[in-house]
Amino acid sequence: MESLTLNHFLTLSAVLFSLGVFGVMTRRNAVVVLMGIELMLNSANINLIAFSRYNGNMDGQMLAIFVIVLAAAEAAVALAIILNLYSNYNTVNLDEVDQLKE
Amino acid sequence: MTQETLIQAAIAVLLLPLVSYLVQLAAGRRLPRQGDWLATGFLGLAFVLALTIALYFLSAFDQTLVYSANFQWLNLGKDWSIQIGLKLDNLSAVTLAMVTLISFLVHLFSIAYLHDDDRYATYFGYLGLFTFSMLGIVLSDNLFSMYMFWELVGLSSYLLIGFWFHKKEAAAASTKAFVTNRIGDIGMWLGILILWSQFYTVNLDEIASGIQNGQFTLSTGWLTLGGILLFMGAVGKSAQFPLHVWLPDAMEGPTPVSALIHAATMVAAGVYFIARVFIILTPDALTVIAVVGAFTAFMAATMALTQNDIKRILAYSTVSQLGYMIMGLGVGAYSAAVFHLFTHAFFKAALFLGSGAVIYAMHHEQDIREMGGLRKKLPVTFVTYLIATSALAGLPLFSGFLSKDAIIAGGWGWASFQGGGWYTLIPSLGLAAALLTAFYMGRQVFLVFFGEPRNQDKFDHAHEVPAVMWIPLVVLSVLSLFPVFSLNPLAGDSGWFMNLIPSLQSVVPGVDGAARLAGLAELTHHAHWTTVVSSILMTLTGLAIAFVIYMKKAVDADKLAASLRPLYLMSFNKWYFDELYEVTVVRGNIVLAKVSAFFDTFVIDFLVNVTGFIVGFFGLLVRKFQTGKVQSYIAFAVIGILVFFVLKGIL
Repeated sequence: MESLTLNHFLTLSAVLFSLGVFGVMTRRNAVVVLMGIELMLNSANINLIAFSRYNGNMDGQMLAIFVIVLAAAEAAVALAIILNLYSNYNTVNLDEVDQLKE
Repeated sequence: MTQETLIQAAIAVLLLPLVSYLVQLAAGRRLPRQGDWLATGFLGLAFVLALTIALYFLSAFDQTLVYSANFQWLNLGKDWSIQIGLKLDNLSAVTLAMVTLISFLVHLFSIAYLHDDDRYATYFGYLGLFTFSMLGIVLSDNLFSMYMFWELVGLSSYLLIGFWFHKKEAAAASTKAFVTNRIGDIGMWLGILILWSQFYTVNLDEIASGIQNGQFTLSTGWLTLGGILLFMGAVGKSAQFPLHVWLPDAMEGPTPVSALIHAATMVAAGVYFIARVFIILTPDALTVIAVVGAFTAFMAATMALTQNDIKRILAYSTVSQLGYMIMGLGVGAYSAAVFHLFTHAFFKAALFLGSGAVIYAMHHEQDIREMGGLRKKLPVTFVTYLIATSALAGLPLFSGFLSKDAIIAGGWGWASFQGGGWYTLIPSLGLAAALLTAFYMGRQVFLVFFGEPRNQDKFDHAHEVPAVMWIPLVVLSVLSLFPVFSLNPLAGDSGWFMNLIPSLQSVVPGVDGAARLAGLAELTHHAHWTTVVSSILMTLTGLAIAFVIYMKKAVDADKLAASLRPLYLMSFNKWYFDELYEVTVVRGNIVLAKVSAFFDTFVIDFLVNVTGFIVGFFGLLVRKFQTGKVQSYIAFAVIGILVFFVLKGIL
């Protein structure tokens, strides 16, 4: 039986990242967009861990843990922004929030 | 006294008026009596110091005595540095005493003359600033600081002439004076630059020795041009033709200011400056200077003949006398010209202050047709005015005779040195101006002080002026008597002044300075007695004509004017110079301004607007991408990255 190689992990990571980008670009709902971003972050984590294993050192794992911490902080801030968005616009539909144009 | 003490004293003399200015400006209004005692006191102290310096130089009586001190003010790398400093020689020492004395007397006189003015404190401040700038010119040993003080004189004269700026004429006159002076100053600056480009120094002595050593690598024509450009500055400040028009208008300032600016200082600055650069002037430049001076002396004298304003007559007379000085420098009669600068400063200050006293007594009436018989009402003013007039007219026994005579004799000497021909026109114009001077001063004195009062009401209210006003008059008129300058009343060159400050030898290459100096002196000496006789004759003729017309009334002045109507109008309208400048310079300037405005509106503004439009157009295009939707921004970023990777793969 063929064992798991680095390429498998990289492919999985690329697929997950593309799905994340697709989610961020197409979804209207801000919460779903946030989920897409989480997906992108975690695909990066998979890459880091895979390379850590491949190179036989702990650098990638260190970085992955750091990303997880960062993702938690980011989620907190982003959810706070979304709450504020809702209280100001009464919606979380990103199409309706285009005041940046002015 | 050591050199150090003298230099320190000179610096103190220079700075005292500046301190007075600063104090008056900062605290003048809060001081008792608005600080007039303080300003006058400062100037009195400056005068005492300056007199001490002058007496030191007089007692040493060494023609070559020079003390100087300078420091590096600006370093432009290599040897391009600007040294500024001060120089004390016989000329600057005695000028220092003269300027501070007259400034002090003017301060004194102003205490009474302007006592009820609203801006009394400011006035004394301006006087201090003006005196400071003038002393700066006198003490400078280099062209650079001289130019700076030169401009300061221009500024402070602007402030003083326009002191009563609520009067429209005064505001216009101050602007006219400033602008006219600026025209001359541009020439002066260019002249300084020509010298700087050759020697990289502004120190007068270094420039002179540089020229003497043949370090002036350009042709002599450039040196002549430089000299004439430097002379342009003097043309502006000393009100020579064709920039003389500002001086008569400047009479709108307070009368003591006229005495200070138009007798002893500002207008004398031009003459003083030419005296300072005299040795580097080429014979060609000197000829130009002599012609301008002689023409101005004659022209301004003819203008003075028909004026009715007591101060305007004196103003034209000043222009005319400055013409004499400039002519004296041009013909190489250096020492005579500087001598005339001194004698003129005293008697003309006396005349201006005297006219101020008359105007004060007549309750600000300036028209001499409204005066008459004032000798009974103003005895002190009358006597001092008479002495100063005699000095100006050039009667023997008075100072003006000594110096004017020396200049005209120098003119004759120069004319024969140059080989006669049209050169004799220069001293002849000087002689003719002497006759005219005697006439217009005679007319003024006869109309103002003699005869019957023509305005009884004003005459009845006239009264002698207070002591602070007549004391300066007495001092100045005493200084207009011959023994002050020379014990021989007929020969100025035997007096102390012309021996202390002798003529200088030219350092211009190609000119045998020593031979020229000796030749001029020799020929001038020959011309001396004929000049004495002819100028006395001229003066007496002029006075006699004035006497016949205005005292005896043997000839009716109005009928005479009517029979010589074109000449009369020409004189009365000042040779139509103001009108000429109005249609050429002023209108020309306005046309130029309109053309510039048109160019600005339709070319410059057009280009700017087109630029703005193009930018706006591109902005409109690019704006489409700015949707405000966060997801489209992300899409652009992702597409950008993809394009980048694709391109990277291809290339």
